[in-house]
Amino acid sequence: MPTVSVTVARDVTEAIKVPRALFLPWPMGHHFGVPFQRDLQRRVVLAALGMLETSDEPGTILDLPIKWADVRREAKTLTEQGRKL
Amino acid sequence: MTAADKTIMSAVDPRDAGTQLRPGLWQTINERYPGSMIRKESFVPQARLAKPLAASRLTLVSSCGVHLKSDQHLDVCHPFGDFRFMRVPSRAKHDDLIIHQLKYPHDDADLDINVIFPIERLQELCQEGRLGGLTPNFFSFIGYSMDPEKFERTVAAGIAEAVVREERADCALLAPA
Repeated sequence: MPTVSVTVARDVTEAIKVPRALFLPWPMGHHFGVPFQRDLQRRVVLAALGMLETSDEPGTILDLPIKWADVRREAKTLTEQGRKL
Repeated sequence: MTAADKTIMSAVDPRDAGTQLRPGLWQTINERYPGSMIRKESFVPQARLAKPLAASRLTLVSSCGVHLKSDQHLDVCHPFGDFRFMRVPSRAKHDDLIIHQLKYPHDDADLDINVIFPIERLQELCQEGRLGGLTPNFFSFIGYSMDPEKFERTVAAGIAEAVVREERADCALLAPA
């Protein structure tokens, strides 16, 4: 069965040799972003699912180059807008 | 701190560099929990989708330790780990769920479960027709274990059996916490 893994630990993912993975440079426990950022969560999910259709090489790790500093900056903006966070 | 120091620190800060935020995690885990990690020497053959995503049934598997609030809680204190896995109805919402895991920070996931277990995002994609369907249940467990061979025989094999024979999934999204 085709599987795709979402990881924040590239070295662990390389060591355990998963078939395909999407790497995010984010903290543990935040694989899909931060609370209430539906667009970002959706973007990660779609990028991972897209690998099910495009990745052919075992061990492929795709980077989603969104810096954590940018993610937190957007989360702070949500807080300032009065969103629950 | 001089301006030059700040420049150097900024250049290597993984939050700005876009590199792994906690480098050397594989080595750290093996030093602190020797023998706890499953090791593979080679890749399994790459499985491919038999049909488009829009016609495929997806399941979600995560070591984040989430389950229904009404379920008996996972054991976060056992020194060797909890060798059970939980079925999470794929129609569940954030308010139905709770996390029992100690090995990663889940403060933000407690506010919005989709941070680590994107169940509501997958429900939306299914409603939009981007996915053909979701399995009736998703799966979760506690990733910490000091007996990887027993873990493979019990948790991993049990989930694989359920995903294929009971849930009849076509593909799986894995979210290792």
